[in-house]
Amino acid sequence: MRNKSLYIYGVIFAALAVAPLFLNPYWVDVLNNVGLYAILGLSLNLIVGHAGLFNLGHAAFFAVGAYTAAILNTQFAIPVLWLLPVCALAAGLFAAVIARPIIHLRGDYLCIVTIGVGEILRIALTNDIFGVTGGPNGIFGISRPTVFGYVIRRPHEFYYLIGAFLMITIFLFHRLENSRFGRAVNYLREDETAAEGSGIDTSHYKLAVFVLGAAWAGMAGDIFAAKMTIIAPESFSFWESVVMFAIVILGGSGSIPGVLLGAVLFVGLPEAFRDFADARMLIFGAAMVVMMIVRTEGILPQRPRLYPLPGPGGAGGKP
Amino acid sequence: MEEFFQQLTNGLAVGSIYALIALGYTMVYGVLKLINFAHGDLFTIGAYLGMTLLASFALHETIGPFLGLVVLALMVMGLVAVLGAIVERTAYRPLRESPRLSAVVSALGASIFLQNAVMLIYGARFQVYPEGLVPETSVDLFGLYVPVVRILVLFVSLALMAGLYAFIQKTRIGTAIRAAAIDQDAARLMGIDVNRVILLVFLIGPALGGAAGLLVGMQYGQINFTMGWTYGMKAFTAAILGGIGNIPGAMLGGILLGVIEALGSAYISIAWKDAIAFFVLILILIVRPTGLLGERVADKI
Amino acid sequence: MKKTLFFLLACCFLTGMAHAQDTVKIGLMAPLTGSFASEGAEMKQVLELLAADLNAKGGLLGKKVELIVDDDGSDARTAALAAQRLTTKGVVAVIGTYGSSVTEASQTIFNEARIVQIANGSTAIRLSEKNLKYFFRTCPRDDEQGKVAVDAIVKTKAKKVAILHDNSTYAKGLADEVKAPLEKKGIKVVFFDALTPKQSDYTAVLTKMKGAGPELVFFTGYYSEAGLLLKQAKQMNWKVPFMGGDATYNTDLVKLAGKEAVTGFSFVMPPLPKYLPSKQAKAFLAAFKKKYGSEPSSPYSVLAGDGFRVVAAAIAQAKTTDADKLAGYLKTQFKDKDALTGTISFNAKGDRVGDVYRYFKFDSRGEIALQK
Repeated sequence: MRNKSLYIYGVIFAALAVAPLFLNPYWVDVLNNVGLYAILGLSLNLIVGHAGLFNLGHAAFFAVGAYTAAILNTQFAIPVLWLLPVCALAAGLFAAVIARPIIHLRGDYLCIVTIGVGEILRIALTNDIFGVTGGPNGIFGISRPTVFGYVIRRPHEFYYLIGAFLMITIFLFHRLENSRFGRAVNYLREDETAAEGSGIDTSHYKLAVFVLGAAWAGMAGDIFAAKMTIIAPESFSFWESVVMFAIVILGGSGSIPGVLLGAVLFVGLPEAFRDFADARMLIFGAAMVVMMIVRTEGILPQRPRLYPLPGPGGAGGKP
Repeated sequence: MEEFFQQLTNGLAVGSIYALIALGYTMVYGVLKLINFAHGDLFTIGAYLGMTLLASFALHETIGPFLGLVVLALMVMGLVAVLGAIVERTAYRPLRESPRLSAVVSALGASIFLQNAVMLIYGARFQVYPEGLVPETSVDLFGLYVPVVRILVLFVSLALMAGLYAFIQKTRIGTAIRAAAIDQDAARLMGIDVNRVILLVFLIGPALGGAAGLLVGMQYGQINFTMGWTYGMKAFTAAILGGIGNIPGAMLGGILLGVIEALGSAYISIAWKDAIAFFVLILILIVRPTGLLGERVADKI
Repeated sequence: MKKTLFFLLACCFLTGMAHAQDTVKIGLMAPLTGSFASEGAEMKQVLELLAADLNAKGGLLGKKVELIVDDDGSDARTAALAAQRLTTKGVVAVIGTYGSSVTEASQTIFNEARIVQIANGSTAIRLSEKNLKYFFRTCPRDDEQGKVAVDAIVKTKAKKVAILHDNSTYAKGLADEVKAPLEKKGIKVVFFDALTPKQSDYTAVLTKMKGAGPELVFFTGYYSEAGLLLKQAKQMNWKVPFMGGDATYNTDLVKLAGKEAVTGFSFVMPPLPKYLPSKQAKAFLAAFKKKYGSEPSSPYSVLAGDGFRVVAAAIAQAKTTDADKLAGYLKTQFKDKDALTGTISFNAKGDRVGDVYRYFKFDSRGEIALQK
């Protein structure tokens, strides 16, 4: 079983690695968007999928990262890729400040507060807060990223940059899932009271996972800013948060392959429906409902953890 | 001071519409614990249906303006209610036993579908209600100019809310709805047909939303296919502000939100209006984590 | 699942390659969904009409013209994808698009792909200040419009003016362009703020503005909000004159605000074909009315039409579809050509030259009349 899925992933990986050689720039750019949303989806998956916190304002952290990168790059000419940790720090700090007083709110109350934070931030950016965000115009002239002196400019070059970042994300988050931290967070999603009873400091864990997810979205924001070279408040609207949220739930809450597939569907389908012109979003909405009904747990839901029983001779028995 | 009272009436007028839509969110939430994101679009459809029916039957001209509008309102409410029930059947019922957030995504999908359906049927342009439907004049209330249509809208929405409140509190069916909201299983054991209750909630909520759409159309004259998104978000905020699941809470939350917006734009900044509203909401939730009238729910042990 | 998807992607690519170049492909990037969907729909109508007309007359360079329409979703990220997609379809030029920030997201993509882009609604100044070789626009810039608006405001003799925008790139830009010169001329700007677009109740905004006591309100936003402002100001019994930027006009404005409320409302705008004497304008108007049943409602769709005509004329005259030659021709040889919205020439930046804006006012019949 394990070998088979490894084999499948290997084939997909190999196919994706050479994909830009066969695809035109448009489809490569679609894949870039898929990759970017996959990273965002995975970061939100920590918060929504693993900890069960109802966050519909993830675009705010994405925006903090993007604006941090844009401001520091255009004002002080710091290369965008160097800014990755700074963006993570800024978004994480922002998340920590706002999450501390609200993290104890129950599900749907938390949902509206995260929506509210997203909207407040967007309005603040539009109104040119502190005179550095450029108001509705946003910030333009963000420089392209350079890797060892090589300027990344074309879609297929970005493809490998985003791809590499996505691979690192998948690897780290996979490790995190199976760590003590990951298990504790899952426990508090399943039954908060029981988790607390077992000695898990629930608000500490919730806050930690929230900040981590936000920081990761901040780094995605940095790459987004570098890719677009112009950012404006409307790129971080409520709709973006909805897309990220739907990617997680539709793909399969808590499951990395699920979220990846969710990103493919959510970014890929509207593109595939382009030939329907003005009816494309109608079909997309219907597809969302149908997919949710057919796979109520998401397309590839998180599999329950299986731990081998210690059998004779220490060999793992079948669970 | 005069400006303050003028802004207060402005806020009340907007708030009463928010309240009417918020009722639909809160009722559905009360029974199903589901945020019905498609509710805002049912409101839009109410506004468009009102326009179509006005144009095709012109009831206000044949059987008199008052009776005509009443019949029109009943038709719109009935049609939107049926549509609400259809949405429940197709998009929510299959997901009733599944994780709650799955139903939220289905609701978002339904919302996108309905919004784009309206765009494809009526076109993306702004649509306009016929002129001369309601008196265009204003009355002088202690030195304040208040358009007659606003007073009308305010009274209609208050009457609808009062009617709903009486229905929920005083009738047997209303009691059944309240029982199902508290504990579905217990309600079922008491012989209440919970499926019927849910159906009923999905008839009443959208009917009120449809009525709100009609009122907005009559009052402001112009409607567009994305209006459900903006109004829906405000109404949802209002429902949370009052304590979601709580019917008087939705009314209070709606009116309060309207007033906060008006006073916020008057005394702080117009451009920051929505941000101020959300900021107040967050402050209130920090102090009262379950909204103004929401009950504290103890965690199960 | 992923494999099938990959396979599909590969198929798309292959079919894309299989198309031979037997037509001249002209792209249209327009907002077919999202908040400006109504503008996009009309842009598409105008271009389809003009393309059919051109093909009936034999097309270009002996080939048929094929229109390739793509949706920018009124949003920058979607626009960047739409632009990438158009570049892979072999278009020789692209018309579009409406919003300035949306256009900005596509500019570099077209420029790097060596495709002539002719924007029709993006009036932000900085778009043509980046030395892009293949970028043109048929709409004038905000500073141009600002000048005309300031002149019009000065003529009204108002001493205290309220300026209201809606925090969109375009409206904020125009508001800024107007504010400074007014203050220099000694006219006081007593109110400067932004409303939140897409709502139906602006009474709170109006009440606050009324408190500031302006003699004229200049609104730089879009027509749906303009309609509501006019209507609600009238309901409030506030009789201040309103003036607007070019996005406040649409043939629907009279319906939205009502005849009475719209009386006396003035605005600056590139003229609709209806107000132009030229033969082309009249013929176009008749054809449009015949095909779609009504007149075009927005000047921007007509400006998109002008973009198409400019491209077609350039290809026919320069006898090539090479982007360098087309851009060179447009900048140096294309002078004072008759268009649907007056005459068109371009300067070295790709901006349209000449005064396009006119000052209009609504009379009591709900008709607009050109003001001197």
